[in-house]
Amino acid sequence: MIPVRCFTCGKVIGSVWEEFTKRSESEDAGAVLDDLGINRYCCRRMLLSHVKLVDILSPYQ
Amino acid sequence: MMALVQNAAEGYKKMEIDAIELSDSKAKIIIKDTTNAFVNSLRRVMLSEVPTLVIDDVNIYDNTSVLFDEQIALRLGLIPIKTDLKSYNLPEECSCNGEGCTMCQLSLTLSVEGPKMVYSGDIISADPSVYPADPKIPIIELKEDQKLFLEAIARLGLGKTHAKWQAGVACGYKNLSKITITNCDACGICVEACPQNIIELQCTTAVVTDPLKCTLCKLCEDACDIDAITVDQDESVVILNFESDGSYTAKELIIEASNVLQEKASTLKQILQTLQ
Repeated sequence: MIPVRCFTCGKVIGSVWEEFTKRSESEDAGAVLDDLGINRYCCRRMLLSHVKLVDILSPYQ
Repeated sequence: MMALVQNAAEGYKKMEIDAIELSDSKAKIIIKDTTNAFVNSLRRVMLSEVPTLVIDDVNIYDNTSVLFDEQIALRLGLIPIKTDLKSYNLPEECSCNGEGCTMCQLSLTLSVEGPKMVYSGDIISADPSVYPADPKIPIIELKEDQKLFLEAIARLGLGKTHAKWQAGVACGYKNLSKITITNCDACGICVEACPQNIIELQCTTAVVTDPLKCTLCKLCEDACDIDAITVDQDESVVILNFESDGSYTAKELIIEASNVLQEKASTLKQILQTLQ
């Protein structure tokens, strides 16, 4: 799951995750982040480097 | 000592405040005739002493999701909640002596069954005027047959106890830059050197277009061969940048921060007066 807040500055970034993943399929990821108001590089890396593990883990419950 | 205090009072100028940018979540404010110390105290209060309402205790009745109970509790704690300071007290200042009553606690429930993405907006609050500030924060993705049922208790708290209570995000300040250009030969080296692109050539001299954007990097000063440009900072003018996590609007946050600061100052005054 995407962390709720940026580890470094504490800005809430979880809420833009779905829009970010959807839009970055067709658009440039950097431009999408700019558009979503994620300006600092600490917040940008949260979204850019996130790996979604829920689908991989769920069969092993 | 008395004379010193009086001199300070005479030299005191009322500060001027201008909002350059003010939205719900973000603000950039320029304060004139002030000191770094004052703005820093305001900044520190915004980070650590403005109370916010946040989930603090979670009773989990059923959790068959992929995350552990503790991780879900952590995620719930980080969700900002719209805070109404008038209706809630800090537990340690409450009339119940921190035991927990409706004046210092708020109960929230979350009951969901998969398959579904659980959002912060699915949390049901016992007080309709207090709710998660952003309804679109994903908490957990539930697959087929997975369930989550919990009760959470939110309390007011201070950022110095735990970062989840921190109301201000990325608060910072800098002095306004004072760039002086004398005997410029309009060679344009400084225009190239400026990473913020705020220097322009006009006729026979370089001109600064927007001193607010200057980061005081002094690259223009280094680049200039004839030392025509000097970058200095005006210590009486401070540019304060801050963001709110959503529990308050940016305006409410700075007003609340100044209230806290004022209260601290008056407590100090009261204590000093009783000493005599």
